[in-house]
Amino acid sequence: MAKKKAKKPGETNEFRAKKREKLRFLAEMEPKKMITYPLAVFIVALLLVAVHFPPLGIELRGGVVVTGYGISADPDQVEKWLGDQLGFSVNVESFTSVDGSKGIRVYTPANADPTQIIKALKQKYPDADYTHSEVLPTFGELAKRQGIRAIAFAFLAMAVVVFLFFRNPVSSLAIIFSALSDMIIAIALMGVFGIQLTTATIAALLMLIGYTVDSNILLTTKLTRRKEDTIEEAYLSAVSTGFTMSTTTLGALFMLWLISTSPTIDNIAIVLIFGLLADFMNTWVFNAGVLRWYLTTRGVKA
Amino acid sequence: MNRKLKKLLLNWKVLLLIIFVAGSIATLAVRPLTYGIDIAGGVALIAQTERPVDSSTMEIVTDSLQERLNTFGLREVQIQAQGNDIVVVKVANVTSTEEANSLKKVIESQGVFYMEFNGVIFGTGKDITYVGVYQVKSDNSWAVPFRISKEAAEKFAELAKGKPGWPVDMFLDPPADSLLVVPRSIYDLMNSTAFNANAPEAPYLIERIESAFNTTTVVYANQSAEELKRLANGKQIVLAGVGAELVDELKAMNVSVRYIPKQSGVTDEEFIKKVLGLYGPYSLGAELAQGEPQTDVQITGHASNRFQAEQEARTVYTVLKSGSLPVKLKVIGMEFISPKLGESFKTQALYAGIAALMAVLLIVYLHYRSWKIAIPVASTSLSEVIIILGIAALIKWNLDLPSIAGIIAAIGTGVDQQIVITDELLGGDKSTKITRRSSTLKRIGRAFFIIFASAATTIAAMSLLLVYFVGTLKGFAVTTIIGVVIGTLITRPAYAEIAKYLVGEK
Repeated sequence: MAKKKAKKPGETNEFRAKKREKLRFLAEMEPKKMITYPLAVFIVALLLVAVHFPPLGIELRGGVVVTGYGISADPDQVEKWLGDQLGFSVNVESFTSVDGSKGIRVYTPANADPTQIIKALKQKYPDADYTHSEVLPTFGELAKRQGIRAIAFAFLAMAVVVFLFFRNPVSSLAIIFSALSDMIIAIALMGVFGIQLTTATIAALLMLIGYTVDSNILLTTKLTRRKEDTIEEAYLSAVSTGFTMSTTTLGALFMLWLISTSPTIDNIAIVLIFGLLADFMNTWVFNAGVLRWYLTTRGVKA
Repeated sequence: MNRKLKKLLLNWKVLLLIIFVAGSIATLAVRPLTYGIDIAGGVALIAQTERPVDSSTMEIVTDSLQERLNTFGLREVQIQAQGNDIVVVKVANVTSTEEANSLKKVIESQGVFYMEFNGVIFGTGKDITYVGVYQVKSDNSWAVPFRISKEAAEKFAELAKGKPGWPVDMFLDPPADSLLVVPRSIYDLMNSTAFNANAPEAPYLIERIESAFNTTTVVYANQSAEELKRLANGKQIVLAGVGAELVDELKAMNVSVRYIPKQSGVTDEEFIKKVLGLYGPYSLGAELAQGEPQTDVQITGHASNRFQAEQEARTVYTVLKSGSLPVKLKVIGMEFISPKLGESFKTQALYAGIAALMAVLLIVYLHYRSWKIAIPVASTSLSEVIIILGIAALIKWNLDLPSIAGIIAAIGTGVDQQIVITDELLGGDKSTKITRRSSTLKRIGRAFFIIFASAATTIAAMSLLLVYFVGTLKGFAVTTIIGVVIGTLITRPAYAEIAKYLVGEK
């Protein structure tokens, strides 16, 4: 990369100041509104999760998936044709790789024999590359139990560490609630967009804990340990950093999602994008509202 | 300026980063990365025991599975126990669905164990009622005591009477009812005293397996598939190191066929043992050749060093134990990926990674309008990737897709935290140069408080994932933890120094 000529040191700061002014509307919001709006979103998300939980992936539900790479066909036609061949109904969807090559995925219930499906497909598409995965419902049950356990324990671990670092129930609880709300909103959006809950997306939900904690700790540290600025100035400085962080990570995740055709990486990227969008609200609106309300009512050098 | 640059390069935090990056590149050069089967191709099978077992039983289950899968001539078999009822078997280079299914069969069927003498089977796994702990003595001799049933002991006593020094064979999953097709050298070795222990007069191995298992051995002389089918006469055909090209043809003719490749570096004798699942032959002790039934017996041996002796004793112990494997396994999940696709996964992950890095570079530039910040942020992240990969190569971690996702996670938090450091350094827009200078240390300190707090939470959460999650996500937790540790200890401190130099006080 060609090195650009050195800029005046002031330029960066000027630009940051402008950005800060754009975010000032957040600082001028009433703390009460900052708390209630995200709470309302959280409740809506909770309801969505209750009525429309994301579909479970085959590793959590049990089933067989056969993937054929290099098949360009109408999934509905293949579905019908394959169903006739096999004598039981299958679900077919198509996908396109980044290099333009197409492929299909065939989903069937757990007791189907993948070899039979591949054999049938090979009659029609002998040149395609096939892979298959097979999961019995017993393993699905196990993976589900462990997924719940992993999330619960990770959450607890996070809560304990946050308490240890801040030793203050209000700021700790606000962080923990933000993390919970991020996760619930991400799960609700997964349901809305029909993204499956798989081990990979469970991993992404766990990753969210890391990102959430990052931004919330930044906010809490800035507001409670600030020495030089007013609450408003400290908040503005934190939110502009947070904005830079979120947009950068979102951009990188978006590129990842765009380029990769691996379902594992795609799903992780998408769930993280959902979660980070939710996190922006939960950290910079909800948690900030709680902290501002708490710091002003407590009358700490506001 | 130059003196300051020199000072920066000699700063121990920056030096540490440079050393780690250089070390990682060197490591990657001499020890290339290994990939998980979801990238390199192969099959992963997840099996569950019929009931939860304790850790020592689990060890026997995995060890005996390893022994049995080895007879299949597969190069890379990885077996991991997870929790108290899950066994994950990963096999690289498995290319066909049929092959994957035959692996599944081996895992689900219990090992078939035979004890044979003079071409007669006198006991099976059921006859082993107890296996004692093996002992290794200071002279590198070893012994594995075990107990056999009364019936087996009586049958054996009768067979073995007056035959001290004769070979006693043990088999695990031998190719029974088979036509064994072997190269000339192997045939000659089997048809010699090589496997006769101390009794040249005993029947040769080739006769013993014919009479015990109805397994006929023939020399491979470029027979056609039809000829072999005729010779097999309905039996299974086992191609041992020869005739790989006939496999498909024979399969098409509806003949059950298995090909076992002979790897380089394997001696003919080792290869025969592997093909037959043979353990031994052990020489019959004089005290057992008197016609008296003995239920408490032992197998002894001698090795050239202690390590070897341990290994030999352990193998015999495992084989005896697996003959009476305490629990059954059921395959509850299977994932199969053809190696052709692996290449495209790899290049895609690489492209995706580069694209994400470019996105970081560009967005950071847009936020600060300064390449002096964007380039160090992106290149610090790049060095973090290099170090994580270097460590993965060092600990021989198999990179699978979740591991790559973990690296992405680590990089994501890394960039976030570099932004925190940068903003803390730049300070508020209103602060004057004097106040900023006086509080640089404090500001960096605050940035690192945030970094430590978030590293602690991530490590705590991921360790629990590592402990409590079964299946394919371990890689994710491992690379995330490596990334966070590297980030907190090496790359972030170095970035702080570099940033101080570039944007800090002039």
